[in-house]
Amino acid sequence: MTPLRLHRDLYAASAVDRAFGVYAPHATLARREEAPYWVVDVSAQTPERERRVAGELANYALGLTVKERTR
Amino acid sequence: MTTDSQAFPEALVAVDVGASAVSLRVDPALYPVDALYGAAYVFIDRCYVLLDKPDASWRVTLSWRKQQPTGEQLRALVGEFANELLSCAWRAKIATDSRALIESVTAQALAGAMGPPSLDELEKFDFSEDTFEDPLGIALSWEEKHKKKARPDDPDPTQGASSAPEKKP
Repeated sequence: MTPLRLHRDLYAASAVDRAFGVYAPHATLARREEAPYWVVDVSAQTPERERRVAGELANYALGLTVKERTR
Repeated sequence: MTTDSQAFPEALVAVDVGASAVSLRVDPALYPVDALYGAAYVFIDRCYVLLDKPDASWRVTLSWRKQQPTGEQLRALVGEFANELLSCAWRAKIATDSRALIESVTAQALAGAMGPPSLDELEKFDFSEDTFEDPLGIALSWEEKHKKKARPDDPDPTQGASSAPEKKP
């Protein structure tokens, strides 16, 4: 299991929610709050896949956060 | 295996070759958050970007997407990110400084693009109000300003041609 910690000051909650929904079919995801972070636990068949899903999810959440700020 | 980059201060950059990642510490006093987001956004197609705020500063972690990178490649990645960060910070400052000018020019361009007023708009326009004071009579036409003053013995112009003396052939 790979925990992905996204800081609340830097990642919008709505962006994390949408990224969670997009990548939920690709791995087993569990979300929890651990101040000051949103923590997404990523579980997959291999560590490499966990790393890949966690990285893609983080990139997606970051992209959505940036887009929300520039609106 | 964590090593310090040779090209950057040890307190700012740490290269972890084993994890294919590099961490960069960013001082918020030097770079605005918009510059941080802008630089990070540029790199999300090349690597996994994770932003963090462990203390008063920000920490950017760049992880290689696919193949195993060398330490040299990771150091180059840090250099490119630092340059992009500086570029974004500079652009953010220019945008802030020239915001008023840009808004003014844009407003003028939009007003010009609207074109001349329509007849309906002119019909609704209120011309009754005095737009400005004219104590020196500058706004008067030449005819109004230099018209002949009437004398007491002049014929009354309101009587028309019937009161004028007839010309003899």
